[in-house]
Amino acid sequence: MNQVALKEILYKIADDQLILGHRNSEWTGFGPLLEEDIAFSSMAQDKIGQSYALYQMLQSLGERDPDTVAFTRNASQFHNCIFVELPNGEYDFSLIRHFLYDTAEAIRFEMLSESSYQPLADISKKIRAELRYHTLHANTWMKQLGSATEESVSRLQNSLNLAMPYALGMFEASPYEKELISLKVFGGEDVLKERWMKKVEEVLAQTSLTLPDWKTVQPITGGRAGKHSEHLQPLLDEMSEVFKIDPTAEW
Amino acid sequence: MKSLDPRVNRLPVIGNPGEILPKAPLDQFGTFEVFVQPKEGKPFQHEGIVHAPDLEMSFILAKEAFTRRFTCVSLYVCDTRSVYVSPLTDGTNNAYDFISDSIEKRPEKNSYEVYQLLKRGKQHVHAGTVQAGSPQEAMAEAKKAFKNDKVVFNVWVIKAADIRFTSPEEKELWLTLPEKKFRDASDYKAGDKLKEFLDRTNA
Repeated sequence: MNQVALKEILYKIADDQLILGHRNSEWTGFGPLLEEDIAFSSMAQDKIGQSYALYQMLQSLGERDPDTVAFTRNASQFHNCIFVELPNGEYDFSLIRHFLYDTAEAIRFEMLSESSYQPLADISKKIRAELRYHTLHANTWMKQLGSATEESVSRLQNSLNLAMPYALGMFEASPYEKELISLKVFGGEDVLKERWMKKVEEVLAQTSLTLPDWKTVQPITGGRAGKHSEHLQPLLDEMSEVFKIDPTAEW
Repeated sequence: MKSLDPRVNRLPVIGNPGEILPKAPLDQFGTFEVFVQPKEGKPFQHEGIVHAPDLEMSFILAKEAFTRRFTCVSLYVCDTRSVYVSPLTDGTNNAYDFISDSIEKRPEKNSYEVYQLLKRGKQHVHAGTVQAGSPQEAMAEAKKAFKNDKVVFNVWVIKAADIRFTSPEEKELWLTLPEKKFRDASDYKAGDKLKEFLDRTNA
């Protein structure tokens, strides 16, 4: 097994989960209704739990411990896509991101449950149930708000248009793409993207929302190589504030 | 722009002289009753309510509101208005004694789920299912089927067709990562940490 390629894919997935988990947790206490606040916060916690499991796997491959990895790297050392680091904006943007991202995440882990790297296949099977809830939650909101009132439809449509170039950035190819595919570690970003587009089309066809012509959308990439927007570093500073004051603190 | 904080939006607006307006509707969704089956083979029990825009959304929201910490094997929801309630007793009478036996029987039968309150302050627990043509008939059927020496404080009946059940393939919703201690407030041992901090700063 090529360790460098394996670590690269684990880092990008774990970083996606950690950063979006942290972003989504910023809604805690501000959700549009109590029950939704609880559900969205709980899913954010799931994501951070999943990133923890993946950082532990990286540690078993010789990387540093999960806390050090999560709290001491700079923005340029993170491999998450830019999509997950964007500020929450209003709830319509957060819901659209939740839908677009979690749809991809569910397919990604489904593909990874067949991975030739056994620990990754095992963990992917375990988190399938959590993702099943996340996509059920996202799809139900899309179907409801995506065809409810003029305001809900136009808000979601605007957010969808804004999100799409970043969403396509989720599938930025790894430098080890061919190797990961031939070693059967992962089926590859292109396969994932194709399946994701189909699923997104299928859900949104049940709403009044319209998708752009895929060919006209220019993906915003760079995140996987550590080139981020100005929004990531402030997020990391806040997330690691306690750790940086006292690395032995437990909270 | 209106505030994202509903409490701010609920503040009364200063009006104009002479203006008479209808009272604004409540900015809250309706309520839905949540029933949870804690373990395979155990009966469903009433867990509480959620606010939601409709039945499907109430299922989604109930899942996290009631089962994110204490896992379960199945869950179902219904509109609060779908629950029919017997008179409540003080415990000296059996609620079934307040249910009339002479009910007009309708030919078309539906399934009704029957819940009983066996102890004050506890939850209603599922007793079984009866076939009946109306909620009143379901109460009378429940009396025939489930009344015994035990005092029942209160009886609920719900038409099964009004319930959003967990489908068999949705049961995997609760097969989550096992290490979820970070979800439990007790795992953070906040009291111990505060004490340790105070001892350290006072020393």
